[in-house]
Amino acid sequence: MDIDTLYALRSSSGLPSHPAVFLILLVLTWALHMIAVHVMLGSTALALTGAFAANAHWRRLGSAMLDTAKVAVSLAIVIGVAPLLFVQVIYDPFWYVSNVLSARWAIGFIVVLLVAYWAMYHHYFVGKEGSSGSSRWSLALSLILLLAAGFIMHVLASQALRPELWMAWYAPDGHLETSGAGIHEFNLARFSFFIALAAPVTGAWLLGYRRYLAHREDENPEYLDWIAGLGRKLMTGGGFVVLICYAMWMATLQDTAGNFPLSLWSFLANGAILLLILAPALFRSPSGSYGAFATAAGAVLLVAVAREALRHRILGGAHGYELSTYTIHFDWYSNALFCLTFVGLGGFAIAYSIAISWEAGKTKGLYTASPRVDRLGKFALAALCIWIAQYFFFGFLVMAQ
Amino acid sequence: MDNSTEILGLYPTWYQPALGSGWVLGIVAVIHVLASHTSVGAALVSTWLATVAVRRNRPELLEYVRKYGVFLLVFSYVLGSITGPGIWFSATVASPRGLSALIHSYVWWWATEWVFFVIEVVGIYLLVYLAGKVDGRSYLKIAWIFGLASWATMLVIVGILSFMMWPGQERWFSEGGTLNGFFGPYTFAQILSRTCFMLMAAALAGGLIAAYIRDGAFRLEMTRKLAWVGLFGAVLGAVFFQWGLTTLPESAQLLMKTRLPGSFVPTMWAILAVIVAYFSTLLLRPSALKAPLAAGMMVALLIFGIWPEERARESMRKPFVAGQFVYSNQIVARDVPALGVKSELPVLESRGMLAVHPFIPEHLRRVDAGNELEAGHALAIVYCSNCHGLGTTGTRPFGEMFAGNRDAEDIERFIKGALVTGNMVNMPRIPLRDDEAHALALFIASLPLWHSITR
Ligand code: HEM
Repeated sequence: MDIDTLYALRSSSGLPSHPAVFLILLVLTWALHMIAVHVMLGSTALALTGAFAANAHWRRLGSAMLDTAKVAVSLAIVIGVAPLLFVQVIYDPFWYVSNVLSARWAIGFIVVLLVAYWAMYHHYFVGKEGSSGSSRWSLALSLILLLAAGFIMHVLASQALRPELWMAWYAPDGHLETSGAGIHEFNLARFSFFIALAAPVTGAWLLGYRRYLAHREDENPEYLDWIAGLGRKLMTGGGFVVLICYAMWMATLQDTAGNFPLSLWSFLANGAILLLILAPALFRSPSGSYGAFATAAGAVLLVAVAREALRHRILGGAHGYELSTYTIHFDWYSNALFCLTFVGLGGFAIAYSIAISWEAGKTKGLYTASPRVDRLGKFALAALCIWIAQYFFFGFLVMAQ
Repeated sequence: MDNSTEILGLYPTWYQPALGSGWVLGIVAVIHVLASHTSVGAALVSTWLATVAVRRNRPELLEYVRKYGVFLLVFSYVLGSITGPGIWFSATVASPRGLSALIHSYVWWWATEWVFFVIEVVGIYLLVYLAGKVDGRSYLKIAWIFGLASWATMLVIVGILSFMMWPGQERWFSEGGTLNGFFGPYTFAQILSRTCFMLMAAALAGGLIAAYIRDGAFRLEMTRKLAWVGLFGAVLGAVFFQWGLTTLPESAQLLMKTRLPGSFVPTMWAILAVIVAYFSTLLLRPSALKAPLAAGMMVALLIFGIWPEERARESMRKPFVAGQFVYSNQIVARDVPALGVKSELPVLESRGMLAVHPFIPEHLRRVDAGNELEAGHALAIVYCSNCHGLGTTGTRPFGEMFAGNRDAEDIERFIKGALVTGNMVNMPRIPLRDDEAHALALFIASLPLWHSITR
């Protein structure tokens, strides 16, 4: 596809803000999506190991990680919605073509994810607490399907980077192929890289978990040390695996990526991986730490930035596609609406939710909210009421005009 | 960057012969409607119940809220949160430009909805896991934040869906502004009818949990409470739904009258009557509540209520798929001066689809004696396959059209007389050039042959 066509494929409706705003939000929310995905994959894998292990520590950790996995799946999905929105706003030509060409897989993604989720719940309700029943296989199925869902995402992202091949995929030998059944492009090294990242991120999660458990007085210190040890191993060992995958990915990059492996962005990605490998050495407290997880989150964000730079290198560098030429029809109301809702309302509500579940989790028996926590809740509730009021206010204003 | 006369921004087509891509989208959407409406309604009902539980200090009610929450988490949240992006995925592959038009105008509204969605999902976990673990006032806050955030997701999506049908204010076309497209009489009618409908769905789902309550007196109480909520939702919902119909533009009223199957209105009344009868029975004889019955009612609602309703909404906006300017077959058919959007019909008319569609193989760019059939196929894929099966299967299949007439000349005459001129009420205008009309007619006439060659 030549550049004129790529531009023609853009929505003629234009954008309500500058594309850079969407780009930043895309990278940011995608990084959050991946952190949730990594914790989800890692905790599911640990839960699975626990379900098949005889070792008491493993069994215990496995059951705790099942709880984590359940919540992490919802978060991965819910947070995934945001980059899904933003990617089709600024990369619509690429995202839509890629999806249509593999339409069955895009639809299949929905089914795969549903079964994965329910299979996990099946194990949760039927096989909890150290049982070794057959529901363990449901959990195994769940993990496989989650990986399959990720692979479909990977395919859609990869095909979007290949405008020069679209026509050959859509009309092989000049005859239209409209079934949407094909998988046309993937790179196993790239996919492995994003999946392997789950190991160090989950390792960091375990170090945080160890720290969280430190508040409980009656905990078995041996179990706690074991968790911390496992977390460190996952971070450092997993980090090396990630590094190898990254090298393989860079070695197998499509030629339109040019000299990306030697770019500053690629160095940034390498730095992020090193950070993961070294994190256990940086946060050495025997009682674990939250810092390791914060570091891991930062590393994923850097990886997300590098991944975006690669997309820019390919689409901008090789095809001449510039985000900044997207037509803008600035819409003040919806810009303000999102910003205020995101920061004001969302900020308070999420802060309140985290604070209260955190405190309640640490408290034995009934937790009574401290005035500070309570105030957060009041703000969130007030913001919600104001939000609903302004909605009807502007609604009636528009109707009255 | 104006290349509009050179090449149009049309996407490849996904053709699904068995069901039609529209139905695939429809199926995902219907499941999503049931799950999401149940979730929001249940959030409102839970908020109310949690308030009563805390105010009157009734732990058993709190336990009901918790169990109800677990049920919702496993069914409606899983289904709802996956089929939600699922609608995007299926709309992407069935109607990329329709979705794109909605997304590009309403991205910030959708992002706002996403914020509420995150709060809602976190909220349902808190409601379940913190029941009995935090003080009453805090639990109330959690419940109210959860309930209001859920309702707010509906407030946002209703306006976007209304825009999809008809931009709220006619001035949106000339002045733009998302507010003008978002708010119209139909938006408000939908807020009311959907809220009621949500409560009704939640009352049905709540019955599934109430049926398992052991304590007889408590089960009685819950059954009655839910029956009242359901009855209230069903009756008021029907009233607001009727009101909503009166806010429709004339073109939609016409389509409703002429194009909906005759069974539509009776089916809607019948399902309403059944639901009212169900809840009334529960009020009179609460012991009649059984889980299979409640589950059966949910399924009936899905099949006889939501499916026809969604199909009606889909036919009412025909021939458009989004904002009354993007056709079902993805062509932009109306100017939107506010956005600088230009109708593509004139270009198609003068240059022909085959010449300006980016995803047409080079050897089909011009119709000639050697490629007529294949060019006709390409035209059918681009212009028709969004709504018609190109064989004997799928929606409104060609095999059953033209009254069995396989005469290419007759078909060509019909195409030129009715379609090229845009004389079919619910169909897009198909601005074929003469050579294209000829090729398309030839293709349609020789469908059996085509299928035997390509199979
Ligand atoms: C739960 C299972 C999921 C897994 C394991 C998963 C994993 C992944 C992976 C590995 C990638 C990177 C692909 C690449 O760049 O090569 C990715 C990208 C992405 N995922 Fe997910 N994902 C999951 C679910 C979801 C869901 C439910 C959504 C949307 C609601 C979503 C939205 C996205 C988006 C928008 C991208 C980026 C596309 C782009 O930037 O081109 N994911 N995901």
